[in-house]
Order: sequence, then structure tokens, then C-alpha cells
Amino acid sequence: MTKGKELSTWLDKVLSELEGIEFRRKSSRRLRVDVAADALPALLELLRGRASYVHLSAISCVDWPDDGAFELVYHVWSYELQSLVSAHTRIPREPGVYISVYDIYTPAAFFERDIHEMFGVYFEGSPDMSKFILTEWDGPPPMRKDFDSEAWVNDHFDWQDYNPEWLKEIVAQGGGIAIRPDEQRFSRK
Amino acid sequence: MTKAHQTDQKQLARAGDPLPVKAGKRTNPLAHVFDELIAFAQSRSLFMLHYCTGCGAVELPPAMTSRFDMERLGIQPMVTPRQADILLVTGYVSVKTLKRVILTYEQMPSPKYVIGICSCTVNGGMYWQSYATAKKLNDYLPVDMYIAGCMPRPEAVIAGLRELIENIKNGEGNAWQDYYRRYDYYLGNQQRLFGETWQTPTDIISEAEHYGQLGPETRGEHTALLEQHQKPLEALDIKLSIAELEQQRNWRSTG
Repeated sequence: MTKGKELSTWLDKVLSELEGIEFRRKSSRRLRVDVAADALPALLELLRGRASYVHLSAISCVDWPDDGAFELVYHVWSYELQSLVSAHTRIPREPGVYISVYDIYTPAAFFERDIHEMFGVYFEGSPDMSKFILTEWDGPPPMRKDFDSEAWVNDHFDWQDYNPEWLKEIVAQGGGIAIRPDEQRFSRK
Repeated sequence: MTKAHQTDQKQLARAGDPLPVKAGKRTNPLAHVFDELIAFAQSRSLFMLHYCTGCGAVELPPAMTSRFDMERLGIQPMVTPRQADILLVTGYVSVKTLKRVILTYEQMPSPKYVIGICSCTVNGGMYWQSYATAKKLNDYLPVDMYIAGCMPRPEAVIAGLRELIENIKNGEGNAWQDYYRRYDYYLGNQQRLFGETWQTPTDIISEAEHYGQLGPETRGEHTALLEQHQKPLEALDIKLSIAELEQQRNWRSTG
């Protein structure tokens, strides 16, 4: 692991010397990097090409409607260092367009397609931006914070009424639990 | 029929009293005797197609295998809808899955029965807020029975199936007729969810005619909408090209 240690100290040094990058080492095996949107592909190039972070585990997306931004988090993993770097970047919510990292990490196509479907972020240069899981969905991107799932459900579905006699009695008595857990026979006192 | 029951009846006959007649039961002992025989046979030979949509399917292997042994009730799993009697929907049904469930249901021969297992088929269950799952299964299919629970244990599943068996034996399991008689209602709900261009390969109205279930609510505005855009089904173009067969054909035509 000496080589790994060297590599990680080298990485810390490089990152601290780069401008416009904010990085925080949460533990020996977790690193959080906050980076501007236009510098992220270069950072990923560096991590993959020079620092052995060859595995893109996931791209996650967070919607911040109050800030008018989408936060994209690229989780990259190094098998040699056994450590995870999460690179955070923010892009404006409107128009919600970003560059694909498909040329650096091939699996990105998969995650970008998913994010496009769930959040409506368009990735330029991604090989396929067509529908993925929600093939028969024509509503707004459902994972956005401003999508009101409950209203959508009330709009599209009916509810089943269930008012049997035994339930009416209980409701008339005020509902709730008939025997409190601490009053039950088997409870410890 | 047990022996004790038979001797009871004989004693009653000796006493000269008329046999007690239950409401809806025949007075002529031979009337509908074949119908009852068929209903009994149907109730005791149910092939079950379990459409394992959610978590409830987990409870089915113990219900089917040696511990609880469904086959003692005459229920066994079947792999194709074409030979199945019961459609068991075992959990949440996403909108995409619901289309497949409806296609599967329509492929089954009548009489057919639908059982919704788990709370999710009743009212959405814990996915009540989800945009992706259908809430009430009986909006889209005629459900014979719900087995509520999250998830129901095999005992509950078997109790539900026993009740279905009783219903079939008494001629009460008739929800499948409802799909033909009120097809317009079910189709309307399906169109509301899937859009106006929704179409299944099965011609339900012709089937309703075939089974003699054509009612005043079979056709309506929704079926009219369906007929507007319905594309007739075309047979798949299947070509076999086996070199030896073609050679033989050529020899025949030349020789």
C-alpha cells in the first residue's frame, strides 16, 4: 500500500494547488471535490488517467429548485487505492444542459440517460438520450422537486373506499389502538 | 358428501318431512345436476398463473410446496395463460406492468378468476403516492378476491383460495362475466391511464358474443373510440428456409 499512499498524497497535493477546486478529505478512503462545471471533465481526465480512478460507480443528480441548480455528483472508484472520489458540480436548472463524459467513462451513457429521463438534464455528446425505463411516460420528469407526485396520482387514479362495520365502531370510539402496548399481557412492567 | 350427512338425510326422509330447501337451491333433485358437477370439477382443478409483480410472490413458493401444499386443493401453477384459470397478481402493479397484466388476462380462456394479493393491489399500498404504480386493480380488471396484507402469509393465501373454491362451487365466482358485460367501463379506465390509442390484440366484444355475455354496457363511447383507431391484427410472417426441404421441393417440381 506504500504506492497507494504515495499516490493519494500526490493527489492531495495536486488538488490543493489547482485553482477553483474545493476539496475535502473526509477519510483516508473518501474524498469530496467541488468543482466548477466547465472544469469537471478535466478533473475526471486527471483522476482516470493519472490517479487510477478507472471505475465510474454512478452519477447522481440532486435538484435544488431554490438555488435554480442541478447538482451532479460523479462517484469514481479506484481499485488500487480502494478509495472513492465524489466530484460535485452545479449546473443551472434552466436550460439544464451539460456535457457528456461518455468519452472518458463509457458507462456514463447509462447514467446520463437515466438522469435525462428522471430530471430532464440533457447531456450533449451522450450516445443515446432516448427513453430508458419510463418508456411509456409522457409527463414531466418525475424526480424533479417541483413534480407533485401526489397531485399527479389524485389526477390519474381513483381510490378504493373501505368502510366496513367493524371499522365504523372503532372510528366512533375515537380510533387508534384498543390495548396500549404497555398494558398488554406480555409486556414487561 | 360424508356418510353422516347421508344418514341424516335418510332419517329425515323416513320421518316423512320434506327436505329442507336452501334459498336458491333446486327442488327437483336432477335439475342443473351437470352444471353443479361441472362447477365442482372446475373448483377442484384450478391452474394458477401467478404474475409475480411485487414482493407477495415470495409467499407463494411455501404455499405451493410441501409445507402448505396447494395441490391438495387442486391448485397448481401453470406456465401459460392459455391454460390457466386463476390470475394471481402478487403485489404492486406499475403502469407498464399493468398493460402486460391486461394482455395476459385477456389471453386466458373463460371462466377465469383474478386474485389481488397484498395491499398494493387494493389501494396502492405503500406506493400510494407513486406516479408509477396503478392503485386499484379492479378499475382495470374484474377482481374476484383481494387478499390483503403486506404480505399475506401462506395461510391467508390458502384461506383466500379456499373461499374462491367455495364461490366457484356455488356458482358465485362470476367476475369474469363482468369484464364482458361492462367492457366499456374497464376500457375507459385503461384508456384514461394508457392514452386513447390503447389497444390489445384480443377482440373482447367478439369474445363477449361467443360467451353470450353481450350486455348493454359492453359497447359505449370508449369502445367506439377503440374502433376508430383499431388496427386489425395481422398474422406474423413466418418463413422457414431449410435447405433440404427446398431441394426436395425442387426435385419434385422438376422430376
